[in-house]
Amino acid sequence: MVTETAAEIQLVVFQLGDETYGVDIYHVQEIIRMQSITQIPRTPAFIEGVINLRGRIIPVIDLHKRFGLPRVEHTNNTRIMVVELGKVTVGMIVDSVSEVLRLPASSIEPPPPMISGIDVAYLKGVGKWNDQLIILLDLERVLRESEQRQLEQEIAAGVDAK
Amino acid sequence: MSELDMAQYLGVFLDEAEEQLQLLDEAIVKLEQTPDDLDLLNTIFRAAHTLKGSSASMGFNRVATLTHRMENILELLRQGKIPVSREIIDILLASLDRLRLIKDSIAAGNGEEGEVEDIVTRLENVLAGGEGAVGREDLPGGELLVLDDVEQNVIRAAQVKGFQPYEIRVQLEEGCQMKGARAYLVFNNLKDAGEIIKSIPHTQELEAEKFDDTFTLLFVSREDADTLANIIKSISEIKNVTIRPLILEDEHEAGAGIPAGTTGQDLTAARAGGAGGGAGETRITQTVRVDVQRLENLMNLVGELVIDRTRLAEVGNGLKSRLGNEELLETLEEVSLHIGRITSDLQEEIMKARMFPIDQVFNRFPRMVRDLARKAGKEIDFIIEGRETELDRTVIEEIGDPLIHLLRNAIDHGIEEPAARLKAGKSRHGTVRLRAFHQENQIVITVEDDGAGMDPEKIKARAVARGLLSHEAAARLGPREALDLIFLPGFSMTDKVTDVSGRGVGMDIVRSHLEKINGTIDIRTTPGRGTCFTIKLPLTLAINRSLLVQVGGRVYAFPLANVVEIISITPPEVQHVHRQQVVVVRGRVLPLIYLGQALGLHVTAPAEENYAVVIVGLAEKQFGFIVDNLIGEQEIVIKSLGNFIGKIPGIAGATIMGDGSVALILDVRSLVDNLGVAEGRELAS
Repeated sequence: MVTETAAEIQLVVFQLGDETYGVDIYHVQEIIRMQSITQIPRTPAFIEGVINLRGRIIPVIDLHKRFGLPRVEHTNNTRIMVVELGKVTVGMIVDSVSEVLRLPASSIEPPPPMISGIDVAYLKGVGKWNDQLIILLDLERVLRESEQRQLEQEIAAGVDAK
Repeated sequence: MSELDMAQYLGVFLDEAEEQLQLLDEAIVKLEQTPDDLDLLNTIFRAAHTLKGSSASMGFNRVATLTHRMENILELLRQGKIPVSREIIDILLASLDRLRLIKDSIAAGNGEEGEVEDIVTRLENVLAGGEGAVGREDLPGGELLVLDDVEQNVIRAAQVKGFQPYEIRVQLEEGCQMKGARAYLVFNNLKDAGEIIKSIPHTQELEAEKFDDTFTLLFVSREDADTLANIIKSISEIKNVTIRPLILEDEHEAGAGIPAGTTGQDLTAARAGGAGGGAGETRITQTVRVDVQRLENLMNLVGELVIDRTRLAEVGNGLKSRLGNEELLETLEEVSLHIGRITSDLQEEIMKARMFPIDQVFNRFPRMVRDLARKAGKEIDFIIEGRETELDRTVIEEIGDPLIHLLRNAIDHGIEEPAARLKAGKSRHGTVRLRAFHQENQIVITVEDDGAGMDPEKIKARAVARGLLSHEAAARLGPREALDLIFLPGFSMTDKVTDVSGRGVGMDIVRSHLEKINGTIDIRTTPGRGTCFTIKLPLTLAINRSLLVQVGGRVYAFPLANVVEIISITPPEVQHVHRQQVVVVRGRVLPLIYLGQALGLHVTAPAEENYAVVIVGLAEKQFGFIVDNLIGEQEIVIKSLGNFIGKIPGIAGATIMGDGSVALILDVRSLVDNLGVAEGRELAS
């Protein structure tokens, strides 16, 4: 949020399926290799489970499942991107992390109404970099609002079904 | 004091005020029972004095005024000029309540809200009445020493700390050769026993031997006069020593008219009193106030160390099996062992740092019990044992409410009215006994009354009347199970909704509170003789002994507090009641569930010759959980799953295992609640 007001923003760029995404580096705590994840019963499918990050228990979500993108196998490039938003720290599984970019704020446009598969509500905008489109994720939305609500609903539904 | 200073000291002031109020509360209630206890009166006086001083220095004049008036009354009590009466206790307690209100308002940032005039007037009436009725006595003894204001204040400061001022006259032998040296020795030897405030003649003149053979000292000490005399007499060439306690003129007279505690000296007196008085008069330990969060952080860090210690040992073992005996490896092993030991010590020390005496909770009860008993028109002796029992801060925070409920119940339902007690051949006074003690790795707290006890049949009838279960179901319950009914939500023994109880929120809350901190509660009751509730709690919440099991390839931890036993059964032993799997253990029918299924995992119990069954107990109920494998017992550090995931039914949290992987900790209560059906069926069967 701080960097947004500046003339340019710094993004961590990652791949998810065929698309290139970016999140504000301000929120990215670290990027770690894929590791064994402990599943938690009665949670929505997109919650992969929890991991031990140097003694902290961190939930990990699968962005493919979150956005309803087709499943892919984990590879050597698969990473867990640990992001921090307010008091919540969450690991997000991404296909690969490519680079850190500086984008002029002026090159970012509001999200187009349709983008392959993923809900526009989770997007902050689209940035252009050397003819490449970088989709900017709105972490606030991804992690806080709808996920929380959906989580609660799914848990409630899951309990009722039992 | 500048704004900044004020803000900085406000927290300290509030903490201190709370401490003193608590102390006063307790002591005044105690005073009602033992009106002749002069030590107690002194304690009360000191606490009031401390509060007066610190509030005045912070500019809280209402608090200062009120405490000053209380102090005046206390002084009269102390001098025996007015007797301790119920009315006076009432007024003093009412004053405390008012002080607490004002304190809360200060804490909430609203400044000194709340009037004190009415209370002050009441106090003054007592003062006027008391003094008028009894009249003033003359103070015994004259003064040889003339003390100026500063000296008087120093002495008062010392008195607050529990020192007694003495006037000491030392007469040296005639013809003593080294009068200066003798005087020096007297000074020097007394140094350890207290403090010399003044000497006549002045020290320099003594050193210069400019005195006849007698000098007088003003001395404050915790020792008694005889001890002091012996100290001085051990020096040679001393002819005579006279020591007499010094009596200052009445303090409230000296301070009358001026707002109390506004002078600098008085302030130091109050502050010093706070340090000594707060910790009680006998045991003074050096303490530092530490932010609770800091202790939490320390505990978490140590928790991580504990995990890494285990990992280090595992790495060492792995290397050893791969590389054999190498010198470097041996060193590694040594270091790893040492780190292990130190970590254990560190863990223990930090655990201790988080421990508080349970008195922190208990100390507010005497007042509460007194008030409740008065309101209910009952006469109750309240006995507290094991105040010093220490337990974890987190447990302390949670234990207060359940205990309040139990005590209220004991007073409201347990103890009978005096007339009824006499009729039943008991003493007028009922006894409520609160006890805390350590037992193995647990804290046990009991709340016991010698009241009417509970009648299982009446409880059943109540439960049926309240629509909590059917006649038929009630008829099938044994006496123990009937007692368990009081834990049902909505259960209440009385229709009369009072301030105290009867709202139908009670024992179920007590139990859920206790289960939150892995505690258990048990009832023993004899109709006509009384009831005893026994609460068992873990020493700490942060570290927990657990039974590790495996289901569907994953490791789960049962809190050991919930585990009753582990059995092995063969498939033919699994029976069915109403399509529910059950197993019979020593004649008792227990519902049997595969843990994977209870957790909602998509796994099925492997077909094996033997099932490992973990039997867990919740109050009187027991359940059997089939698991794939038993791994063993281990101490684990509980970690929350965090806000993002939130509360998952059946899961209490997570822990990190020796190999760095994460295992989930089971929440047996919610796990069982989720089975709902099974429990209901068991009740009805």
